[in-house]
Amino acid sequence: MRVVIVGAGVSGLFIAYELAREGIDRIVVLERSYVGAGSTGRCATGIRASFTSEEHVVLMRESIRLWEEHSRGELGDYGLTFVRGGYLWVARREETLDYFRKLVSLHNRLGVPTRVIGADEAKELVPQLRTDIIAGAMHDPTAGKSYVFTTLRALMKACSERGVEIRTRSAVTKLAAEGGVVKAAVLESGERIKGDVFVIAAGSGSRELLKTLGIELPTKNMPRHIMVTEAFARAFDPLVVDWDTPGAPYTVQSTEGNFFIARELEEEPELSIYSQRIDFIPKALKPIAELLPFLRAVRVLRYWIGYYVTTPDNHPVYGPVKSYSNLFLATGFSGHGYMMGPVTGKVIASWVLRGKPCIEHAARLTLERFEKGALIKELAVVG
Amino acid sequence: MGKEVRKEHPAIVCRCNDVTVEDVERAIEEGCRDIECLRKVLRVGMGPCQGRTCIPILARILARKLGKKVSEIEIPVVRAPIIPLPAHLALKSIDADEGGND
Ligand SMILES: Cc1cc2nc3c(=O)[nH]c(=O)nc-3n(C[C@H](O)[C@H](O)[C@H](O)COP(=O)(O)OP(=O)(O)OC[C@H]3O[C@@H](n4cnc5c(N)ncnc54)[C@H](O)[C@@H]3O)c2cc1C
Ligand code: FES
Repeated sequence: MRVVIVGAGVSGLFIAYELAREGIDRIVVLERSYVGAGSTGRCATGIRASFTSEEHVVLMRESIRLWEEHSRGELGDYGLTFVRGGYLWVARREETLDYFRKLVSLHNRLGVPTRVIGADEAKELVPQLRTDIIAGAMHDPTAGKSYVFTTLRALMKACSERGVEIRTRSAVTKLAAEGGVVKAAVLESGERIKGDVFVIAAGSGSRELLKTLGIELPTKNMPRHIMVTEAFARAFDPLVVDWDTPGAPYTVQSTEGNFFIARELEEEPELSIYSQRIDFIPKALKPIAELLPFLRAVRVLRYWIGYYVTTPDNHPVYGPVKSYSNLFLATGFSGHGYMMGPVTGKVIASWVLRGKPCIEHAARLTLERFEKGALIKELAVVG
Repeated sequence: MGKEVRKEHPAIVCRCNDVTVEDVERAIEEGCRDIECLRKVLRVGMGPCQGRTCIPILARILARKLGKKVSEIEIPVVRAPIIPLPAHLALKSIDADEGGND
């Protein structure tokens, strides 16, 4: 069986890795740019299971288990790390703590042990935190982070050792099909890459590509801004979210020492990722430096934009498509496709090889749900 | 993390991230074909100088190893703020807008 995967982000590479581990020896990954050029190389690397839909919680919990397992296994030997640093949502207002209590009871019911904590306990987790302007926080101790570039490198290495071919600078312009079977991915150069199974994990490029098969993907590419500072010794472990400030600014220190700082600004979908706004830098810095005053002294190195590929219910589009028997999708991850990478790999590989996902909840996430109106309900959307 | 090659007097390509010529040559031997890949694997060109010092050197090493012309090597996109921007200076613009007295 020859498998053609479009997109060398975290999804495409984990899918290739899992298929290769199951013994598929003819896998090609086609990437229009370089490995990690899409949302993956632009993300904040946060990993958590504290969502409020059963589907998300079940998939993310399994993904966290896999991140941990990978970090101790072969991928760990090649540099993949997982740090269980937790997430801390800071409340500036007392009323917010009531809302957090509701969220916590939803999380706890789904098996995620979040807690509402006081300002002093928050300060124990993040010693630099200013406590005079906060009312308390919500803490998820099971959450964590994994540095993206070491993850990508480990996957590249493990994949190529198993004979997976990763072809960069190879943009797919069209998928060619006959009688409900996809036959080839056609490259810009006109070259046709034939295969028995096709997996589309092309992030923000998936929708255009699937149009060539007459498939309408209900996704939008939402621009999200983020910057990084110079590196420092380890300061604190959790990803810190300023919940009461519009656009939920957040910061996290990477295992390399740099601080990522981000905030959502109102933007139109499909805005070019090269339309940088210089006002983003102070707008994101201000609330975060209020909470963590030492950040006033750091220097900002780089600022960029990446896409959240969103669906109407903010859950991914997974698995097979009714009209083509050998086509599988993995896209529409919104702001949390990096954390799902490991579980995406397992779920899609089992769909390809055994005709059904290894986790039954994933079967509710196919494209068909939008036709049937069976959207997934998240009881509360946090970040 | 890719930066294991050490001689007694290594030739440093990237001072910001402490990467040597040997590190770069080995990453190319392991399959890197462009500067983007070297950046991801070795963290070269992502330090406080934004690669101003090392990217031209990387382009030459790549050209030599791959038998290409230096002009054929793709140079990564330069991202704002170009030189490292102290956070407190960036904040001044917004403090002023909002009547702050910093
Ligand atoms: C600022 C920001 C912060 C984020 N923070 C987090 C976080 O903390 N935690 C988290 O879990 N997620 C986060 N995300 C979301 C996460 O980055 C994405 O959900 C995830 O990386 C998606 O991975 P992917 O492999 O599906 O897609 P991508 O990484 O986008 O990969 C798709 C690849 O396909 C390629 N491609 C596209 N079209 C074609 C084509 N026609 N032919 C060939 N190749 C093609 C692209 O070049 C790209 O490399 C964040 C995103 C952003 C922008
Ligand atoms: S010398 Fe390489 S980034 Fe500065």
